[in-house]
Amino acid sequence: MSTAMNAEILSVSGLTRVFGGLTAVRDVDLSVRAGEVVGLIGPNGAGKTTLFNMLGGSLPPSAGRIRFDGADCTGLPSHAMGQRGVSRTFQITSVFPSLSTLDNVRSAAYRTTKAGWGAAVFRTAAYRNEEADLHRRAMENLAFCDLDHRADVLADALSYGEQRRLEIAIALAAQPRLLLLDEPAAGMNPEEGQRLVEMIRRIRARGVTVLLVEHHMRVVAAVCDRLFVLDHGVKIAEGPPSQVLNDPEVIRVYLGRETVDA
Amino acid sequence: MSTHTTAPTGGTAAGVPGGIPGGTLGLAGGALLLGVLPFLAGNAYLEHLLVLWMLYALLALSLNIIIGYLGELSFGHAAFVGVGAYTSAILSTQLGLPPLIGLPLAGIVAALFGLVIGYAALRVVGPQFAILTLGFGSILYTVTNHWVDLTRGPMGISNIPPLSLGPITFAEARETYYLVLALVLIVAFLCHALVNSRTGRAFIAVRENAPLAASLGVNVFHTKLLGFVVATAIAGVGGAIYAHYIKVITPDIMGVHNVAALIIVVVVGGRGTIAGPILGALVYIGLLESLRVAGPLRMVVFAALLTGTVVFLPGGLVSLWSRWRGPRHAEGGAK
Repeated sequence: MSTAMNAEILSVSGLTRVFGGLTAVRDVDLSVRAGEVVGLIGPNGAGKTTLFNMLGGSLPPSAGRIRFDGADCTGLPSHAMGQRGVSRTFQITSVFPSLSTLDNVRSAAYRTTKAGWGAAVFRTAAYRNEEADLHRRAMENLAFCDLDHRADVLADALSYGEQRRLEIAIALAAQPRLLLLDEPAAGMNPEEGQRLVEMIRRIRARGVTVLLVEHHMRVVAAVCDRLFVLDHGVKIAEGPPSQVLNDPEVIRVYLGRETVDA
Repeated sequence: MSTHTTAPTGGTAAGVPGGIPGGTLGLAGGALLLGVLPFLAGNAYLEHLLVLWMLYALLALSLNIIIGYLGELSFGHAAFVGVGAYTSAILSTQLGLPPLIGLPLAGIVAALFGLVIGYAALRVVGPQFAILTLGFGSILYTVTNHWVDLTRGPMGISNIPPLSLGPITFAEARETYYLVLALVLIVAFLCHALVNSRTGRAFIAVRENAPLAASLGVNVFHTKLLGFVVATAIAGVGGAIYAHYIKVITPDIMGVHNVAALIIVVVVGGRGTIAGPILGALVYIGLLESLRVAGPLRMVVFAALLTGTVVFLPGGLVSLWSRWRGPRHAEGGAK
């Protein structure tokens, strides 16, 4: 890990995305330090997922800069961001449906494995060691997400809550530096939400920086060091949760406008 | 048939990776049975059918990389078979090049066509990709049909010399059978190694969920292009062997019936598996010959077979085996 704790790992300046006549994200600045858990909140349509898609490389920004780990990553495609250590989950559950839970996690280790087709043909020592290591790491990862007892089950056959945990296991299998979680608690009951809070804390303890979009205020308040608030694509507040969630402007645009299951 | 006992697919059938692959014994038994089949066949006609079976198995294994592992449907595969067949046929009849040199060249030329066409067509996915491959395939067919100076047009190329390797000449069905069988076993092993490697897991990740695969660092376009080029190279070699065995080729080799045949073999046998295309080729050749009296009506039977498989048995015939063994062994196959 080349970035020291508390050094800036992600910095975004003037990030803008225009869809036709609609500016989904306007001139947003934000920074995340290594080891932090940072929350991104805002009402529906505020541009959170658009911002996430730009950070993950699946959507090129219209203007602005993204720096990750000291290097300019503006406009890099998704796989290049993945290779640099930015993993993400998706708002709509996204797994490899017809593979087993274990194979889902094994397939996700592309970034951290090397032995390719040729090595597999000749069954080189490097290949055999890597496969054994891959299997061990995948099982550890499943255990981390409490899915090890479901290793042989097809991802399609998992329950919704299990699939959401599998998504996190997949993202972690890439051994990311920065993990982008898009509404991980969506559709979860309070008990599952609490479990997720504990899981995010353990992810942070592993040294992974986390940026999450979330609607569940209880989850956000419990795990985030800092929050950014977006409204109509513009950043309207940032700071520690206690301060941001009591900000009258935030309450007006967000908390006051829709029911929050906090 | 014993071939369907091996089914190593895009998963972890073997359990602990790095160990001896599960079913090694079944694999050896299957290979042995395939090895003695010509002696059991007993007559030239059956031996000829065995060659056709192996040729279709080889071509279907290559198409399976595209359909089964990458999850894209290609209607252009027969065109690459034709490119390989014509390359080797022209080199040996017009330039007098020994067919043994023509064989790898056929693979290389087909792969070059695959590279150019894949580079253009793989920009789009799903039905659009399928339609583009249909278009490119039709272009190659039409060019072959009309470029009379090079290909002799609809008359085709005849008197293609047989393959030879030192003292062995692959003029008869039995020798050719062993040659193609060896290639089928090699390609089957390559596919097995592929799906148990980082490269093959990327193929399958792209098939299952391309945006997720990309977010994990997989370059989706390059991955697909690699699979497409490898598949077309194998198709080219298969086409060349066919040309030297049958001794006559016409543009029909690129025709729509061959496109359909290869897709039927892969889907009916079981896409995304290794035993599937081999088994599918056996069923196809077997039905093609046993229904010969039915004439063109055979096509209706094949259409019904394809439709029935897609609806009732999406994993193909090999999935019957995993159904019987229990759902835990249903892996990596079709969606």
